[in-house]
Amino acid sequence: MSPFFRLLAKRLGTSLIVLIGVSLLIFAIARVIPGDPARIALGPNATAEAVLALREKLHLDASFLTQYGYFLADLARGDLGISLYTNRPVMTDIAQFLPATLELVLVSGLMMVAIGLPLGILSARRRGTWVDHTIRLVTMLGVSAPAFVWAVVLMLAFSYFLKIFPIAGRLSDSITVPSMTGFMLIDTLLAGNLRAFADAVWHLILPAFALALSGIGQAARLVRSNMVETYERPYIEMAEAYGFPEKRIARRYAFRPSLIPSLTIIGLDFAAMLGSAFLVEAVYAWPGLSRYGVAVILRKDLNAIVGTVLIISAMFLIVNIIVDILVSIINPRIRLSQRAS
Amino acid sequence: MTNPTLRIDDLRLGFKTWSGTIDVLHGISLHIRKGERVALVGESGSGKSVTARIVLGMLQQLKSARISGTVEFEGINLETLKPASRHALRGTAMSMSMIFQDPTSSLNPVYPIFTLFREVLQRAEPGIDTETARRKAIAALADVAINEPERVLESYAFQLSGGMNQRVMIAMALANNPALLLADEPGTALDVTVQAQTLRLMSELVEKHQTSVLFISHNLGVVREFADRVYVIYKGNIVEQGPTAGLFDNPQHPYTRALLSAVPRITGGGIPDIEDDPAQFLAPLFAHQGYSEKELLK
Ligand SMILES: Nc1ncnc2c1ncn2[C@@H]1O[C@H](COP(=O)(O)OP(=O)(O)OP(=O)(O)O)[C@@H](O)[C@H]1O
Ligand SMILES: [Mg+2]
Repeated sequence: MSPFFRLLAKRLGTSLIVLIGVSLLIFAIARVIPGDPARIALGPNATAEAVLALREKLHLDASFLTQYGYFLADLARGDLGISLYTNRPVMTDIAQFLPATLELVLVSGLMMVAIGLPLGILSARRRGTWVDHTIRLVTMLGVSAPAFVWAVVLMLAFSYFLKIFPIAGRLSDSITVPSMTGFMLIDTLLAGNLRAFADAVWHLILPAFALALSGIGQAARLVRSNMVETYERPYIEMAEAYGFPEKRIARRYAFRPSLIPSLTIIGLDFAAMLGSAFLVEAVYAWPGLSRYGVAVILRKDLNAIVGTVLIISAMFLIVNIIVDILVSIINPRIRLSQRAS
Repeated sequence: MTNPTLRIDDLRLGFKTWSGTIDVLHGISLHIRKGERVALVGESGSGKSVTARIVLGMLQQLKSARISGTVEFEGINLETLKPASRHALRGTAMSMSMIFQDPTSSLNPVYPIFTLFREVLQRAEPGIDTETARRKAIAALADVAINEPERVLESYAFQLSGGMNQRVMIAMALANNPALLLADEPGTALDVTVQAQTLRLMSELVEKHQTSVLFISHNLGVVREFADRVYVIYKGNIVEQGPTAGLFDNPQHPYTRALLSAVPRITGGGIPDIEDDPAQFLAPLFAHQGYSEKELLK
C-alpha cells in the first residue's frame, strides 16, 4: 500500500472514532435539553394519546443505550431519521441546505488563502517598513472582531448606504436556475446562464468576505511571523551569500519552509469558519444550514440536531484530513518517515 | 603587479541604534593574493563575520550599517558599484562564495540536495538544463570524496550526517570556480575530527583551483594547519599580522600572546575570555618583518 493511502486510511479510521464519540455526546446532550420533543412537534393542541403515540414511535421511552442503538442502526443505512420540524428525512434537509453553507465557506476559505497568504508574504518581505506596519495594522483589525460583526458592518456600509451589493439571499428574485448541485456558482454555469452566475457572485462576495476577514487577518499574521522567523535561519544567509534573487529567497527559502507550521493552523481556521458561518448566514438571510440548525434546536428536533452536528463534525474532520495530507506533501520529513515505516 | 583578489583598506563600520552609533570596525586593512589562504582570527564579537558580510556586499543593504573605507575585489571597488552589480559578484562564476559554520542548518530543509545544487549552478549558468546540472553536481561531489553522489543528491540535508553536509557545502561553494572563498568558522558545529577531515579536503581543492581564501576562525590549531598568513583582529582592529609560522612561533602583540597561550595547539576549541587590559591591547599594529600591508602590496 502506498504511504499516501496508508496515511489516508489511518486518518479516516481516527476520524470515524471521533465521529462516533461526537454522535454519542450530542445524542446525550440533545436528550437532556428540557422539554418533550413529541409535545413540541405536535403543538399544544395535540391530544395526550397522539403525543404518547409519537413518543412510542420515536422510542423516547426506551433506555438511552437502546435509543442510541436504534440510531446507529439507522445511521449505518444512511438514515438520520425524520425531522419533526420539516417532516422530511433529515438527510434530505441537509442535502438541501448544506451546499449553500459549503459554497459560502469554500469561497471564504479561498479568499483567506488568496488574500491572506500574499499579504503575509509581502509583510515579511518588507518587514520593518511602512508596508509591513500597514499590513499588520489592517490585519489586526480583521482579527479583532468576530465574523458576524463584520457581516453587519459590511452590510450596513456596502449594501445599505453605498448600495453596491445586495442585502440578502443567493440570487436576485428575477432569476431562476434549475438546482442541480445546490452550489449556485456551479448551477448557474451548468445552466449556461452567465448573467445568473454574475448575479450569484455578486450576492456571495459580501457574506463570504465578512466570513473570511478574520481568517485573512489570521493567515496573514501567521504567515508573516513564521516567515520572519525563518528569515533568521542560516540557510537564508547562505542563499543571500550565493546571490539568489530576493524574490526567490522569499518564495523558496523563507516562505516554503515556514508554510509547514502555518498550514496546520490555517486549516483549523478554515474549519472554524463552519461555525462562524452560522451567524453570517443569519445576518445575510443565507439559506444554508444555519437557519435549519437554529430552527431544529429551538424545536428540540432530536434527529435533526444530531444529524446537523454530525455533518458539521464530518466536514471539520474532512478538512483536517486534507490539511494533514497537504502538510505531509510539503514536509519532506513526514513524507520520508512514512515511506520508511 | 596584478591586483590582489581582495584588498581592504581602512574599513570602518558602525551600527546606528536608537542610542547612537556603535563602532564595530575601526579601520581595518588586509589583502589576499591570488591562491593565498589568509586567516582572520579573533575572539567572539571582534568583527570577523561583519567583515565577510561587507566583502560579500551583504551588509551594505542594511540601513543601520555605516560603512566607510575601501573594499576591492580583483581591483573593482565595491563601493562604487550599484547594488545590482555588487549582487552579481556573489555566487556567480569566478566571483565569491561562502561556507558557513553549521552545514546542516545552512541547507534548505524542504528541498533535496540536487535542487539546491542546481540553484547554485544556475548562478553561473542561468539556463543550465537538468542533465548538465546533474552531471556537474556529481562531479563536484566526487571531488569532495563522496562515494554515492547520486544518493546524496536525492537526499535532504536532514538525512545526511554533518560531515557529509559539510562536504556538500564545500562542493557547492567551489562549483562555480570562485576567485574568493569566504569560510566563516567552517564546520565549528561539527566534531573535531570530522572538521579536520573536511578542512583538509577543502584545503586540497582550493590549492588545486588556485582559489583565494579568507578563513575566519576561533580555532588556532586549525588556522595553523590551514592558513598561509594570519591577521589577528581584536575589538575591530587588526593588531598583528604575519606568516602563519612566524606569527605562531614569535607572537608580538600581547593579545596574540594571550590567544596563543590560552589555547591548546592542535585541536583547541573556542577562545576563552581574555582579561581586558586596554592600555596593553591597544598597542599599535604589529606586522612581522616584510609583512606590513605596504610592503606586501608594493
Ligand atoms: N546587524 C547588526 N546590528 C548591530 N550590531 C551588529 C550587527 N551585526 C553585528 N553586530 C555587532 O558587531 C560586532 C561584531 O560582530 P561579528 O558577527 O562580526 O563578530 P565575530 O567576530 O564574527 O564573532 P563570532 O566569533 O562570535 O562569530 C558584534 O559586537 C555584534 O554585536
Ligand atoms: Mg562570526
